[in-house]
Amino acid sequence: MFTERFLRHKRGATLSTAERARLESGISEVRTYKARRLVARAGERLTESTLLIDGFMCRYLDDRAGLRQLVAIHVPGDFLDLHAYPLQTLDHDVATITGATAAIIPHSELDIIADAMPELTRKLWFSTLLDAAIHRAWLFRLGRLDAIARVAHFLCETNARLMSAGLSEGRRFALGLTQSDLAEVCGLTTVHVNRVVRQLREEGLCTFRSSLVEILDLERLTIRGQFNPAYLYIDDPADRLPSFTRPKS
Amino acid sequence: MKSPSAELQPETEPGIATAEQGVVVLDGQDGLATTMTADAAARTGQSLIDAAAIARSQKPGSNDD
Repeated sequence: MFTERFLRHKRGATLSTAERARLESGISEVRTYKARRLVARAGERLTESTLLIDGFMCRYLDDRAGLRQLVAIHVPGDFLDLHAYPLQTLDHDVATITGATAAIIPHSELDIIADAMPELTRKLWFSTLLDAAIHRAWLFRLGRLDAIARVAHFLCETNARLMSAGLSEGRRFALGLTQSDLAEVCGLTTVHVNRVVRQLREEGLCTFRSSLVEILDLERLTIRGQFNPAYLYIDDPADRLPSFTRPKS
Repeated sequence: MKSPSAELQPETEPGIATAEQGVVVLDGQDGLATTMTADAAARTGQSLIDAAAIARSQKPGSNDD
């Protein structure tokens, strides 16, 4: 089943059996991608949407010098470009980070779903609103947090998203990102990220080696990153995120 | 929404500069996180000292432009 991770454990949005079957039947193709490949370019007219099944992908924007800012990281279960269904084009590029597999759903199938299944349509809308909530958290991270907190926040967020997707047991996960990618997520240089990763390790919060993240103290990492998972709309986050402690406001 | 007194204010704590792998990393509050070459860091440092001297002679909240 290709859609098993889509909206998994999302509050009020988990798919019913019939909704999941309908989405599965709308898949026209399953594509595999090599790592570090362009998947969709900004401005291209899109007639299909892409559900990530396996691997990591990203949305990004380049500045005039060609330097990349990652504006979203996608984990299995995410639609990469569902917003292009109403918008028809993207305002950012999409690329793979690791090798990846994705299910393709033509927009013509989404038209039929939108006409016939309002509750499933609401859940697809939920998915794009969840994207927007994550973007707001990324704005907060870049605007308010210092370097170590930015990385801590991102690692807590990714841990929570992967837990929700069934891909992290809460303490250890394969991230698939290099320190250079992490720099492009957090608006830092690779030298700065390298120093932050060392600090996180020395403070006993987490390690990041060979793209494998091991969280040593989730509670302190959560506080250090001012991470509050409410914006991820996960069912019962206190049950699913061990030792979650709300940061003091 | 926090009270107006919680609005962004000029930082009273200094940024911390450290040398890493031949460059200077500058960290501070309010999201300050940047990396500079040694030359750029030295010129930024002098520019900060010069601006601080001028700022001390100005009235708080005034705009002399």
